Amino acid sequence: MARNRPLYGWHGLVLAATFWWVLTALPARAQSFGEALIADDSGLGRFPTEAAQQVVSLPDDWSRTRPLQQIPRWYRLHFDVAGLGNKPGLLGLYIERACANVEVQLNGQSLLAVGRMSDPIALDCQRPLLVPLPTALLREGGNAIDLRLAGYSLEQVASRQRAGGLSAPQVGPFESLHARHARADLLAVTLPLAASALLVLTGLSALVMARSRRRDSHLRYFAALAIGWALVTARLWWHELPLPIFDSELLLASLPALVALSAVQFLLHYAGWRSRPIEVALYAQCVLVPTSLLIAGPLRMHMMATSWYGLLVLQVLAAMAFYLWSTRRARRRDFWTMVLLLGVAAAMVILELAAQQRLLPSPWQQLPYILLPLAFVAMGLRLVQQYGRALLSAEDSRLALEARIREASAEMEKNYAQMAELRVEQVTQQERKRIAADLHDDLGAKLLTIVHTSESERISTLAREALEEMRLSVRGLTGKPVMLIDALGDWRAEVVGRLSQTGVEGEWSAPSEELPQTLSARAYVQTTRILREAVNNIIKHSGASRCTIRCLIDSGDFQLAIQDNGKGIPLELDGRLDRGHGMASMKHRAKQLHGQCLVESGPGYGTVIRLTIPLERHTTQS
Amino acid sequence: MKTILLLEDLPEIRAWLVTLVMQVFPDGQISEAARVHDALELVSAIKFDLALIDLGLPDGSGVAVVEKLRETQSECQSVVVTIHDDDEHLFPALQAGAFGYILKEQPRELITEQLQRMAQGEPPLSPSIARRVIAYFAAQSKPQQPDLMPHVSLTERESEVLLRVAKGFTLPEIGVQLGLSRHTIADYVKQIYRKLNVSSRAEAALEAQRLGLFRR
Repeated sequence: MARNRPLYGWHGLVLAATFWWVLTALPARAQSFGEALIADDSGLGRFPTEAAQQVVSLPDDWSRTRPLQQIPRWYRLHFDVAGLGNKPGLLGLYIERACANVEVQLNGQSLLAVGRMSDPIALDCQRPLLVPLPTALLREGGNAIDLRLAGYSLEQVASRQRAGGLSAPQVGPFESLHARHARADLLAVTLPLAASALLVLTGLSALVMARSRRRDSHLRYFAALAIGWALVTARLWWHELPLPIFDSELLLASLPALVALSAVQFLLHYAGWRSRPIEVALYAQCVLVPTSLLIAGPLRMHMMATSWYGLLVLQVLAAMAFYLWSTRRARRRDFWTMVLLLGVAAAMVILELAAQQRLLPSPWQQLPYILLPLAFVAMGLRLVQQYGRALLSAEDSRLALEARIREASAEMEKNYAQMAELRVEQVTQQERKRIAADLHDDLGAKLLTIVHTSESERISTLAREALEEMRLSVRGLTGKPVMLIDALGDWRAEVVGRLSQTGVEGEWSAPSEELPQTLSARAYVQTTRILREAVNNIIKHSGASRCTIRCLIDSGDFQLAIQDNGKGIPLELDGRLDRGHGMASMKHRAKQLHGQCLVESGPGYGTVIRLTIPLERHTTQS
Repeated sequence: MKTILLLEDLPEIRAWLVTLVMQVFPDGQISEAARVHDALELVSAIKFDLALIDLGLPDGSGVAVVEKLRETQSECQSVVVTIHDDDEHLFPALQAGAFGYILKEQPRELITEQLQRMAQGEPPLSPSIARRVIAYFAAQSKPQQPDLMPHVSLTERESEVLLRVAKGFTLPEIGVQLGLSRHTIADYVKQIYRKLNVSSRAEAALEAQRLGLFRR
């Protein structure tokens, strides 16, 4: 916003320069008429020379010189070509203001007659006139220019700009008058027209924006304001309304009430404040204005309209003040831009109001018709900018919302997956328990029966092994990880207990401090069985009198060394160790645990079984 | 002469157990039962010195018989004979008042020896059971309802014995370590079993009381 302010500064400079150029009057070598002969129109189509002739000073303001009159008036201007210097070339007559319509004759020859001269008279008050004076019609000595002016009295019209009157005409070289006319025409007609067109466009775009954003009600009122003002100024170039003067003035005087309604509502809504009573009052006012004008009648049109204008301007100024006050409190970022725009608008409105009291010099009178639309257009640009920004932020928030929805649905999917997983886990757990129970009750019972009823020691041993196998499976199904320190306790109790029962001197050494490691159920059971097998061998086959078991944890490995002083394992014929001693199954089990089992044995030297299991692989398995 | 209850549903195993018991207690008088219902009837009719009780039976758990025996025949030694070697199955039976346990698939010699030990008042206590008991009393000692709970706690010596058992030391070894006789250690173990039972009963009573309060 602050970034934009210098830009407005530039615009201001350019505007100021333009107006400086427009406002500086060109010097013209022309004769200005300070007074004229006048006579009321008598329907002859020429200056009524026979009627009583009076002299009036120019410019002639009908509201002062002939109030409440509306009969067309003739003006006669005398001039001498010789008074304009040598060889003036083509001469022209320049009239800055002739309200409402004028006919021009030179030496009795009609030069200009455009538009209706009776009610409704063509209202051409703004347009400056330039009439070429044909050289052939000019006489040596004296020439007479007759002007027939038709118009309305001030009382009949809602605006002083449309009250009858004639400015001081000028006669001079056509060329120099033409430049002056062109500039005046630009200022009085072309620029206001262009500004109005721009205003309509702005209003329409605001309307389009308002349609797509119903929430932003201020856009709607802005559109009404812009288009309404364009209509008010349309009278500058719309000359011939096919309505009696009273009706057209009534219409025209009622429009400002609508414009005021739009302006006030726009400002209030833009400030984010709505009031139902004010809205109702404003609408009521729109009805009240034409009603009061109607009641007051044609001859009090100007008085009533001017009073209303004053009231309306007060309302709008109050709304502006309210807007600035409330937005200053809310610290809106474009506050100073709005101060500038509203300041220009307020100045122009006051200027226009002043113009109703007293006719101002021409450039000042036109200023509101140019600057006010420009202020509106700037305001419209602001609104478009805000609209675009709102659109962007809406897009942003939509994207953010989409992202949030995506996140939420991803979260939901994740939760759902987790729940499903949990459910599967639960069902699996239940099923495992059921299978474990079945295995124990059925298979276990049968194996047990074989263990204890078989005549053959071999079958009994096999069945016991099968039972252990089954238990391993069950443990694998339901088993939790075992703390290594607990496992060591279990193993020690079993090994030392069995060795002492069989009279073998056992020595057990293991780390006794707190051990954080755990073993998977599988690793625990497999290691238990390797150890059990080894102790079995010692008790049954080795004939050893002494057995040493050492457990230690070394760089993530669990190491177990079982040493006896027995006779060792006899070699088979092929040089390998006796299979009957279960070495193969011990090695196989160690391999399953990604570890290894080494057996060192020699006849007469005893046996050492070294088991190494990597701990980290089994600490997390369950 | 000893009166012995043998509760086991598998006929072959029961027969095998009978021969085993006969071997340990030649003059024993054995009453056999295959179902909890039958066993309970026998308990109400005969006064037993020793009861070998299987846990998983067709009409329920042997724990009921253990409880009944503890209630009506406090002199009787209940021994759980089971195929389940894990403390999760054994512990409830021990809490109910069992005095020891025997794993069924163990070789005959081993079971024989264990039975003899128990007959001499040396109940077995495995490291895993010891850990479970330690955990149980640790949870009990937390001050949750000090007013309502008849507090049963282990003595320092009993805790010491339990800790050493949990580390894998045998009872004779512990005896040597603590400078105590084998019988004293056995007494500690018996005391631990008893306290486990008493504490468990108190807990159960409290639980029942709480449920009663809720019901009211």
